[in-house]
Amino acid sequence: MTWFEDLRTTALVGTARSAPPAVPAELGVRPPEGPAPEELLLGEAALADAASRASRRPGSPASAAPDPAPDDDGPQAAGEAARLLDLLLSQPPVSQGLQVRLVADWLRLAGQAGQRVPHRLLPALLDLASASEDVAGQLAPALGTRGRWLRAALGLGDGGMATPAEPPSEDWAELSPAAATAELERLRATDPAASRELLRAHWDGLGARERAAHLAAFTVNLGPEDEPLLEAALDDGAKGVRTTAAGLLDRLPGSARAARMAQRLEPLLSVKGVLRRRLEIALPPAPDAAALRDGIAPDPRTGEPDRLARLDAIIRGAPLGVWTGAAGGGPPAALALLKGEDRAIAAILATALARRDAEWAPALLAVRPDARLLGVLPAREREAHVLEALRPEARLFDLVTLLRALPVPWGQPVADAVLGLIATEKGAPLAAMLADVLPAALPPDAVDRCRHLLEKSDGDAARRRVLRDVVQYHSFRLSLQQSFRQSLTEAFR
Amino acid sequence: MGRWTEERVLQAAPDQASIAAAQKLARPGPWSETGSNDVLVWGKCQGSGKTPYQVSIDLAAPAYRCSCPSRKFPCKHALALLLMWARGEAAEVRGQAADFAEEWAATRAGRAERSAARGRGEPGQQADPAAQAKRLAARLELMDAGMDDFARWLTDLARTGLAAARTQPYAWWDATAARLVDAQLPGLADQVRAMGAAVHGRADWADHLLLRAGRWWAVTRAWAMREGLSPEELADLRALLGWGTASADIQGTESLPGPWLVLGAHRSDEGRLLEQRTWLRGPDGTVVVVLDVAPQGQALAVPQLAGALLDVAVARYPGSAPRRAMFAGAVRPLGLAPDLGPGTTVAEAFAAEAAAVGLSPWRDRHPVLLAGVRVVPPAEGERGGWVADSSGDALPLADAPLASLLALSGGHPVDMFGELEEGRVRPLSLAVGGVVVTP
Repeated sequence: MTWFEDLRTTALVGTARSAPPAVPAELGVRPPEGPAPEELLLGEAALADAASRASRRPGSPASAAPDPAPDDDGPQAAGEAARLLDLLLSQPPVSQGLQVRLVADWLRLAGQAGQRVPHRLLPALLDLASASEDVAGQLAPALGTRGRWLRAALGLGDGGMATPAEPPSEDWAELSPAAATAELERLRATDPAASRELLRAHWDGLGARERAAHLAAFTVNLGPEDEPLLEAALDDGAKGVRTTAAGLLDRLPGSARAARMAQRLEPLLSVKGVLRRRLEIALPPAPDAAALRDGIAPDPRTGEPDRLARLDAIIRGAPLGVWTGAAGGGPPAALALLKGEDRAIAAILATALARRDAEWAPALLAVRPDARLLGVLPAREREAHVLEALRPEARLFDLVTLLRALPVPWGQPVADAVLGLIATEKGAPLAAMLADVLPAALPPDAVDRCRHLLEKSDGDAARRRVLRDVVQYHSFRLSLQQSFRQSLTEAFR
Repeated sequence: MGRWTEERVLQAAPDQASIAAAQKLARPGPWSETGSNDVLVWGKCQGSGKTPYQVSIDLAAPAYRCSCPSRKFPCKHALALLLMWARGEAAEVRGQAADFAEEWAATRAGRAERSAARGRGEPGQQADPAAQAKRLAARLELMDAGMDDFARWLTDLARTGLAAARTQPYAWWDATAARLVDAQLPGLADQVRAMGAAVHGRADWADHLLLRAGRWWAVTRAWAMREGLSPEELADLRALLGWGTASADIQGTESLPGPWLVLGAHRSDEGRLLEQRTWLRGPDGTVVVVLDVAPQGQALAVPQLAGALLDVAVARYPGSAPRRAMFAGAVRPLGLAPDLGPGTTVAEAFAAEAAAVGLSPWRDRHPVLLAGVRVVPPAEGERGGWVADSSGDALPLADAPLASLLALSGGHPVDMFGELEEGRVRPLSLAVGGVVVTP
């Protein structure tokens, strides 16, 4: 034990119970004779205090200093542009939602102008990016060399901005199951045929769980060429593999399994009624061996079989053409005959979504305002369909989900229609529910109308706030654009 | 008086809310009759009431006046006006100041005159030497008694043991601190009060309390032999005890001419007080520290920008180096220095600290200027991080913004100024690429 440790021990229990240690000779201090033990202890503590502060030694960190950052790859944003980013990050004069959008806008504009974030603002920017995907998504390229280096130095990862890792050099079969699936998914995205051949070559040697997990990777870039492998997998010994294969085949309406499902569905459909025609759907019979192989649920051990679930499985597997065939018209006609058959429509909708069927999506949108259907449509057609749904009598929630699914900024017709609805007496809830998307969604030309609406006296504080946010956002973004234009002209002068 | 930068205006704000409010007000709309001259900026701001608020700012002091009822100081109106002036958007230079601003400036000048007269001991404010001596004797008697009481408390602590002291409630420490305040020993009182929290908050509480008790004991011994101390030693002891020296007494002493380089500044929240330390280096290498204090909620003096060269003389308080100082006149910025000057290694910094401890064992903060240090992030599970010099010697960082240090230095060796405290360094400025920046 050292002198100091002895001293600490005595101090903890007190001099009433333990005597202070003698001062070591090498300190060259002779304690006075005669003082009481507690005074001796305090005197030694004073000595220890001075000695420890006068004898500090440099430490050596357990970690190594990071390699210095490479040189910057572009000019730093300066002047007004830098000032505005600083303002947005440290004292945003706008709401939090606008702050995030404007910082993302700043990053995009800086990227276009070939400028980068000033070094001193990087920490605050990375903080914001870790809380907001909108900002994180715009970091490159304005983040610059220093920003990328900082992320790595702080252990924040590179956020997917580094070049993708080289494919592992070792044999695919040697990889751990999770790594093998990941590698298969990667390959699937670039070369579906190669990944299929890879899996087929190793298929027999794989465990049931691995076969199911690897097969699930085929979701990416699924095509008719995958059918033979999937069809064979329907005979697999493992239920997980069979289910995965059936789920993938559901998405291939041209497959042999789809044709078999069509044969099961067609007899179930019949047009009834003379004045009010409708499509009646019978329940499927108990599945035979072929139907069981195709993934239709067998009778349960106890209780009644779920025949509706069997019907769903058949609908999801069969081509949608069965419906138009039975109805003798296009998708709108078929859906008109199905009025009231909510469960069947839901199954058809799920099928159209899974197959990204652009023919059925508009017709389904007309009866079911499901925003996911918009994603199936080509971008230029989406707005027209939303515009049709923008009626005062539409359900608020449906409108909001549809509008949120539209890419921003909206076209002028949609913007006008939305502002028209917001301006009505009952428009305040719509404004509140769209508060976070409106600023970026409304095109610049719609802002003047917002300003007019703001000037009209309005007792609804929430609506005023939303409109003010829109106006504020656009004027701030204008300042951002000007600041970068300014810096460009200065650079060329 | 030069035009302020926007940054300087914002630093004068008492809090973030004021900044936000001022940013919103800093547009021409509500403002009228704005103007400025060498020392004053003024303007009227239309608020919610009928009469516009009258805002005046004395740039030299700086001092702020506004007819609004805000208790924030300076208020959002003053900040907004300064912001617009800093951006060149309002308050153009005019020959004739607005009446209300002129009037206020005159009143202030009158007040300053009177207080200066008091300082000079002119007739009417004549101090009575006999009464002064009596007051001093009474204070010393009070302090002697307080020191005896404190020494007894320390010996009790040593006898019953530190483990027992840790079981005491916070009120026990507070009561001791209160007695020290009564005995005119506020500096010691603050330390004792802080210890009440530290014994529960720190993992190394036993060593901390043991060493600090030793230092307190040394204070009581030094006080007992104060007749034998040198003037510098006595001044250091007085500073520790919290026995202030009147700034009027300092103003009279010989001042050191500039230009002074601002090495760095730190604002800290010392409980009820806000404290601002500004470290300066003179042309001959002398390092001093200017202390500003303000009660919670009020604004401190405008901080000086690290790297700025100031044309001002400073008067120094007595004590050992680095001494406390005050500006002896109005501060005129001369421009910015490209770097902080030559620094030392980590080992040399520790040696300098050891020498300073030898001169004054009370002080626990030392300025260090390190040459070519690199920032090292903490290892897995560690906290804080390090700076390491070219030989690999490292200093742990104290409450430092690691991300900011890394972003500014890019992992390259940089010169860094900071405060050494309990074996850790608190970085206050860096010299990077020809400018001095604050992390």
